[in-house]
Amino acid sequence: MSTGIMLKGMTRLVSRVHKLDPGRFSHLGTQAPQCPVAHLDNQVPTERTRAISRTLENDPAKHGEQHVGQHYNISIQELKTVFPHGLPPRFVMQVKTFNEACLMVRKPALELLHYLKNTNFAHPAVRYVLYGEKGTGKTLSLCHIIHFCAKQDWLILHIPDAHLWVKNCRDLLQSTYNKQRFDQPLEASIWLKNFKTANERFLSQIKVQDKYVWNKRESTEKGSPLAEVVEQGIMRVRNATDAVGIVLKELKRQSSLGVFRLLVAVDGVNALWGRTTLKREDKSPITPEELALIYNLRKMVKNDWQGGAIVLTVSQTGSLFKPRKAYLPQELLGKEGFDTLDPFIPILVSNYNPKEFEGCIQYYLENNWLQHEKAHTEEGKKELLFLSNRNPGLLERLCAYL
Amino acid sequence: MAAPSLPAWLALQTRARTLRAFSTAVSPVTGAPRLSPPTTERTSKHERAPRRKALPPRTEKMSVDQDWPSVYPVAAPFKPSAVPLPVRMGYPVKRGVPMAKEGNLELLKIPNFLHLTPVAIKKHCEALKDFCTEWPAALDSDEKCEKHFPIEIDTADYISSGPSIRNPKARVVTLRVKLSSLNLDDHAKKKLIKLVGDRYCKSTDVLTIKTDRCPLKRQNYDYAMYLLTVLYHESWKTEEWEKKKTEADMEEYVWKDSASEKNILETLFQIKAAEKNTELSKEELLSTKEVEDYKNSVVSLKNEGDNENTISQYKESVKRLLHLM
Repeated sequence: MSTGIMLKGMTRLVSRVHKLDPGRFSHLGTQAPQCPVAHLDNQVPTERTRAISRTLENDPAKHGEQHVGQHYNISIQELKTVFPHGLPPRFVMQVKTFNEACLMVRKPALELLHYLKNTNFAHPAVRYVLYGEKGTGKTLSLCHIIHFCAKQDWLILHIPDAHLWVKNCRDLLQSTYNKQRFDQPLEASIWLKNFKTANERFLSQIKVQDKYVWNKRESTEKGSPLAEVVEQGIMRVRNATDAVGIVLKELKRQSSLGVFRLLVAVDGVNALWGRTTLKREDKSPITPEELALIYNLRKMVKNDWQGGAIVLTVSQTGSLFKPRKAYLPQELLGKEGFDTLDPFIPILVSNYNPKEFEGCIQYYLENNWLQHEKAHTEEGKKELLFLSNRNPGLLERLCAYL
Repeated sequence: MAAPSLPAWLALQTRARTLRAFSTAVSPVTGAPRLSPPTTERTSKHERAPRRKALPPRTEKMSVDQDWPSVYPVAAPFKPSAVPLPVRMGYPVKRGVPMAKEGNLELLKIPNFLHLTPVAIKKHCEALKDFCTEWPAALDSDEKCEKHFPIEIDTADYISSGPSIRNPKARVVTLRVKLSSLNLDDHAKKKLIKLVGDRYCKSTDVLTIKTDRCPLKRQNYDYAMYLLTVLYHESWKTEEWEKKKTEADMEEYVWKDSASEKNILETLFQIKAAEKNTELSKEELLSTKEVEDYKNSVVSLKNEGDNENTISQYKESVKRLLHLM
């Protein structure tokens, strides 16, 4: 239902886009403060509204308290390299519709940025856990952090949704490396492809420090670049899971040496300690440890390495066997998860505060997303506030109908 | 079965024929002639005694200061003519109000306590006073009662008029005692709580033992006291297999030797190694204030669950520990 309306909204906007002159788009790209020439709804975005909803500061490193509630732009090329996977699907649709990617600067992300800027890379990696109710913006905050780290030239190890690795897996092979574990070739190869896109420049620099034998004919020598391992995993799908394991091991080992800085970002980390819906041939359930991908990932989120940071989110969406209202870290992680992640810094991501809400509405109004005639009036805003309770996800879905 | 019904049917036929003839001859006022039931006595409107008019309900004759316990001396169903209150009960249909009390089945269905007004209860108490002894003057507060008489026994006696004075419900004995008044150490208390299970209420700290397995009240009382004695003595003993108690059996979170302690020690050791500090021993690390804070926050987080307070406390302690502020 909502996708149908979303499409309708998109076609409506696309038709309007054709009517506008192309000057408008370059104007958006450069963010020059000029009023557009042709405007359909008699709503001229004034300097004031632009100041509320947008900021010219596109480098996350320079974001500060004054930018809370404002959107900053990420160029489309950067989007393709930094986020080949990992953006929430609705956000991807929004990017396609508006033809620009704008993320809102929010307090939890700023807090995390502050910690990351002050990390001591000689100390063990600190774990940060973003938690919050459904739709409050945990994944997008994580993306903000990833963008910052990418700009600062860190190596990004981003697992977009760990829940995808514990459910709905068609082909489970017995692992070649360890007979007790299971491989997931499909998920592993998809992830390797995206990992390659995100971190091209590092893959040739980092050299593996061990010899890895894939099968009788192929092996990777010591000292060859990591790109070879990744290629091997993408080519030979059977070895993809082992390739992922090797990549994780090497990165962990080498980031401690200080060659590069590593950011481990996992969305939905509570999947690592929950239950899976996967079964063996004899229908007995598989625990997460028996999946090679999960086993290796668990080693990654422990803080026994230096030279980077670990940012995690716990989410109920997509989680298995957890009640809908659960959002607190201990509920979602369970005893095992909490004991493994302890000590970590929990960061709450809450609904919009009034300033952020105002900024979001202004952003939608500027992009002509809200077509209802009452949308820009005070009563309209109050109605939206009441209906969505300032929840970002709900607000986005509501505005899609308008 | 067929044989007796046949003459009845024949009788019905003949009777009906005579009745029809009679009624059409006598009174056109009666309306459509109805088939009366095949009984021996037939009453027509003429032969019945004239019905006297309904009297006004008793409520109109009641004065405001009347003696209510004499109207309802025992538990009786609700009599709308005897209760002078304008009570309404029922679901109001559209544009309506709840039904009035006359002929209201809902008011009859529910239990009423019209026989237990405060005045009536006072009268009961006055009557019962002759059978009671005086309350001891020294026990004038709840704490004193608890101090001197920690065990409370509840029994019920039942009186009814009938062929037998026995009532099987009278054998139930409930024993209530607060665990704080028993001399138990930490291990004994935990063991006792595990042994009794559901019979212990955590919020009021009361152990309730309800016995009804013996036929006499006295026997049940003895059994309840025996149970209490046995529980007390058993909980003080420590068995061999109790040493195998695992973390899953623990009632509350104990920080010592837990995974959290291990984690934090490892982390701190690594930090110290990175800063090339002198080797600090485990005890020294554990006794620093930050670690104490962290320990308290983890214990409260695990025992009380997640809420804003505990989480923010935990966050602050971790930040201080890892020097992030």
